[in-house]
Amino acid sequence: MTAAAPRSPSVTQLGTRLGTGLAMLAALLSPAAAQADDLDALSLADQTPQTEVEQQSWQFFTEGMLGYINRKEGQSDIHPSRISLDLSVDYRFNAQWRGVLANRLDLNRVDLKDGQGSQHEQINTLKEAYLSWQIQPDWLLDAGRINQRNGMAYAYNPSDFFKAGALRSVVSIAPASLRENRLGSAMLRTQYLWEGGSLSALYAPRVGDGIGDGTSNIAQGADSGSFALDLASSNPADRWQLAWSQRWFDGFSPQLILFKEAGSAPRLGLNASWLASDALSLYAEYSGARSRSLAQKARQIGGDERFYSRLSSGATYTFPVNLSLTLEYQYNQAALDKTGWQALGQQGAAYGRYRSLATREQDNPTRHNLFMLASWNNALMRNLDLSLMLRRDLVDHSTLHWLEARYHFKCADLALQWQSQQGSAISQYGAAAERNSVQALIKYYF
Amino acid sequence: MTARSFTMKRQALALLLAAVMQNSLAAPTTTAQDLLAASDAIRNPDRSFGLNNTLIEYRDGKQIDSSTLAIYARADSKTGQFRNLIRFVSPQRDAGKLLLKNGNDLWFFDPSSKASVRISPQQRLLGQAANGDVMTVNLALDYHASLLAEEDVQDGERQKRASYLLNLKAKHGEVTYERIEYWIDRSNSRPIKAKFYSSSDRLLKTAYYRQFKSQLGVERPTETVIIDGLDPKWITVMRTSDLAYRDVPESWLQRDYLPRFNPEQAK
Repeated sequence: MTAAAPRSPSVTQLGTRLGTGLAMLAALLSPAAAQADDLDALSLADQTPQTEVEQQSWQFFTEGMLGYINRKEGQSDIHPSRISLDLSVDYRFNAQWRGVLANRLDLNRVDLKDGQGSQHEQINTLKEAYLSWQIQPDWLLDAGRINQRNGMAYAYNPSDFFKAGALRSVVSIAPASLRENRLGSAMLRTQYLWEGGSLSALYAPRVGDGIGDGTSNIAQGADSGSFALDLASSNPADRWQLAWSQRWFDGFSPQLILFKEAGSAPRLGLNASWLASDALSLYAEYSGARSRSLAQKARQIGGDERFYSRLSSGATYTFPVNLSLTLEYQYNQAALDKTGWQALGQQGAAYGRYRSLATREQDNPTRHNLFMLASWNNALMRNLDLSLMLRRDLVDHSTLHWLEARYHFKCADLALQWQSQQGSAISQYGAAAERNSVQALIKYYF
Repeated sequence: MTARSFTMKRQALALLLAAVMQNSLAAPTTTAQDLLAASDAIRNPDRSFGLNNTLIEYRDGKQIDSSTLAIYARADSKTGQFRNLIRFVSPQRDAGKLLLKNGNDLWFFDPSSKASVRISPQQRLLGQAANGDVMTVNLALDYHASLLAEEDVQDGERQKRASYLLNLKAKHGEVTYERIEYWIDRSNSRPIKAKFYSSSDRLLKTAYYRQFKSQLGVERPTETVIIDGLDPKWITVMRTSDLAYRDVPESWLQRDYLPRFNPEQAK
């Protein structure tokens, strides 16, 4: 049914094949040899056994990690380790009803250097648990805990309004992991679709003693119990959202979002992307609202509200060797500029509260930031993926580097990760206790 | 001009003259484009459908990879070209990921991170596969076909077949291959073999269509054997199964539906 099958060669592979180049060239130049090669291929296909792979409604994997963290001068190095169990189920009961469940359990352990003791914790994160009713093929209703994720930027998502307070267990600073391993919010959601567009509406009520507006460093009422549902963190205030997207023309389908949280002014979100060439895609994500600045929120003070914009804009270019390079510029008008950031750095407690708030909200603490990600699949050898991530604070010039080598086996991944943070003592990345860290991971899929 | 191309042009001219003469007696004329469209109709059902596609990859006679995809396709009411929704079934690490192609729009969705990301045609998600390789395509809509020759060609079952050799030139830049040489069975318009070329006219792949079986009322190829253009020991066997008409509503073929797609819905 398809036009052709995969496996076109890349420039890298051309290089690796030079060893057999002469013989191959001779073969290509000879129609008889080419014919023989074709016959060999057909014979091989004859011998290929029939295999049946059924679509599964669940996925389950376990991940083990051993690490070493080198910390700042005066603080001893530590050895973290972790075992994680991750289950996701998407089960269809009948033509109209479907159930979704996503749960993760992290068993963490930290050993201090030279046997000075250890700490243990177990954190269960119920990411999603909801029922979905397909009233009509183009009209749906969902109820339960849902990970509602907006935004199409890679690393900073200003229109992802449900990210605040959603992180319960951070196992990696990779953007995909931060999006994946978080709490969904309890909500009622409906969506209507038509050709080339959709409209969705949702309501997420306040539950427990959570507080809205991000005015606290730690969500009040947050339940840190190992197996807590932690609804106070995921549902800190009454919130609703409308999202509309429409395909205007081939290659351009912007999305408009209107979000409202009790006690705050409505927020506007916008997402758009374009295909500039067959190797280059561009994107922009924006949000804007009247609010207090991050610093005002951190100090829990009132004051004049003003309109603040946040933007994340970038491009991904793919080179012929299957290497993709993403560059993303991030702007947060509500965060501190250079002068304010330097001044805050001299105020120990206030600095700590500000950083805690920014972390909890998954917001950038300074106004200008840069993100770069290079992903090279089948790099140097088959099944080996290399990723290099760089986060650069353009205000205080601190930097975070993250490098991963991941090898794929049939049912398992083996990964080695290295992370390094550099900068002054009060900078975004230099303030962390961790300087360098190494992690070895094995992930097994059942 | 090479002797081969001269001979081929002579054959093509003779064929066209014969066709014109025949047409004076019996209408209508079958053009190269018609032949291509007839071949498309053998590869692709006439309304929205789904199938499973298993790719088994060999290098130097040794199996090095395999993956399975579930493909759902629906023709665009305006252009007639297929829009494809592809769900990764195996390997397990990729299970549930989705790739949507709607015209020039390519979206990739990872269900674990809930991220829908626009990707460019150059971004490959299937090992070395180009995204367009596994898509359902009506070639007649994307290529200008011309008749190169009539010749006997060895098919995928190693039998000699009387064929039309068509030369397909891309109508626009949104296709995976700039040029295709395409052999079609003279007796029944079945695709027999194809050679795919880059914009620099380098041979990228050779494909044999074989294992014809009755599916949805038509004898269709259920296996395609792909031979790399540079390394003939690099072979992919692509098998299709479970071809069935599927209800794939227009409204599902968009970015906003990807987080909701469940394969059981497309029944």
